Amino acid sequence: MVERPQEPASGYTCREVVELVTEYLDGAMTPGERAALEVHLNYCDGCATFLEQIRTSASLAGGVAPEQIPEDVTEALRAAFRARREP
Amino acid sequence: MIGSVEGTGVVSADASLVARLRDGDERAFDEVVSGFSPAMLAVARGYVGARSVAEEVVQEAWLGVLRGLDRFEGRSTLRTWVLRIVANIARDRAVREARSLPFSPSDFEGNDPAVDVRRFRLQTEPYPGGWRSFPSDWRLLPETQVAGRETLDAVREAIAALPDAQRMVVTLRDVLGCPAEEVCEALDLTPGNQRVLLHRARARVRAHLERHFDG
Amino acid sequence: MRAYKFLTADGLGVFSGHAWPLPNGVPGAWVEAEVDPCSSGIHACRTVDLPYWVTPVLYEIELDGPVTEQSMKVVAPRGRLLRRIDAWDAGAREAYGRMCVSRALELVAGAPYRLEGWAPTPDMAPESARVGFIAARIAEELGGAAAFLEERRRQSAWFVAQLGLD
Repeated sequence: MVERPQEPASGYTCREVVELVTEYLDGAMTPGERAALEVHLNYCDGCATFLEQIRTSASLAGGVAPEQIPEDVTEALRAAFRARREP
Repeated sequence: MIGSVEGTGVVSADASLVARLRDGDERAFDEVVSGFSPAMLAVARGYVGARSVAEEVVQEAWLGVLRGLDRFEGRSTLRTWVLRIVANIARDRAVREARSLPFSPSDFEGNDPAVDVRRFRLQTEPYPGGWRSFPSDWRLLPETQVAGRETLDAVREAIAALPDAQRMVVTLRDVLGCPAEEVCEALDLTPGNQRVLLHRARARVRAHLERHFDG
Repeated sequence: MRAYKFLTADGLGVFSGHAWPLPNGVPGAWVEAEVDPCSSGIHACRTVDLPYWVTPVLYEIELDGPVTEQSMKVVAPRGRLLRRIDAWDAGAREAYGRMCVSRALELVAGAPYRLEGWAPTPDMAPESARVGFIAARIAEELGGAAAFLEERRRQSAWFVAQLGLD
């Protein structure tokens, strides 16, 4: 995603931060990257809000009802499961 | 969610479930069918597209699971093992139908910014790469609006419109709550590639919600 | 090791959301964390780190166990809050913000070329963390990474002098 680490002393720009939030939330950053990102979030309300929006988006997705297989397929599978016991 | 992988040993919660299935316990079977099928459908649809075809794939996969149950060694969780079976069957089906497969290099390459680049300051401006104006704080919206039915419809719409690979990953991760490691193992994705897809998917869902909330 | 820790106004870890046991005449209870320096562990500031993590509430913290020094923070397996730094109050935050704003304006005014659009406005002073960054970022624009770090050191010195830290 973003190749530049915290090379400039000022760290990530907002444009870079928005590409790093998933890595951050998944705990996939090095300690240095993580600190640089958190320092940025600490002074930048825009990026802190963006991160919150991503969190909200992910948690709202968890409220979407998952697709389920139709009942007749379940029935057919149950029959196959029973048949498995019979030689 | 069932169990977690401990090294390569049999997962304890899984072990008793597998034992019940091998014993022919129908309630255990109902439990896994209703528990795993949504994730299986998500995987199948990522390869074959149409819901009806995906249902056939899931059914075929379950029959494969029943045939293979005695060979299951618990090297992964039961669900991961089942998802790998679905992915294989779905991939074969997609190949037979000459559909393009998800996880091609084009799914990971290229520049697909999470946020429209015009929302950031140019290199020639003060604070290059900074926001022109901050995104709005959804925590200030009424709770009923944020978690309301229309919002969930918007999320569903946004997910449905995603490219196959992104839709598959975000459905497994965020809709169904599968851990990253399981998604990687089930779909043969590297952690980095899994994250690229999840990130792009979440970014698009966020952008869709932003239009939904901000009008 | 003694160090410092910024918390949210509600006494929570800024990024962990952890509810810290607050000192009340006596030190707060020990908090243990696995030391995976990547995500967990007790994070705290040396005085040089303070400007990076500014929030409205500051405590002195005692760290125990092997302390890992990283860029911008230190990490330890155990820590407890010793006392709140009462001097870091609304007035001090405002004073710090004003200091950062005037430093930023001074840098802009002294720049060899026009830094139009970089200058903060005085009404930003209450946003301490932001104006601290702004001053350092302008310094960097003029003098590169070394100037950024120098500006952060200057801000750290303000904390030490004004709040009586060591």
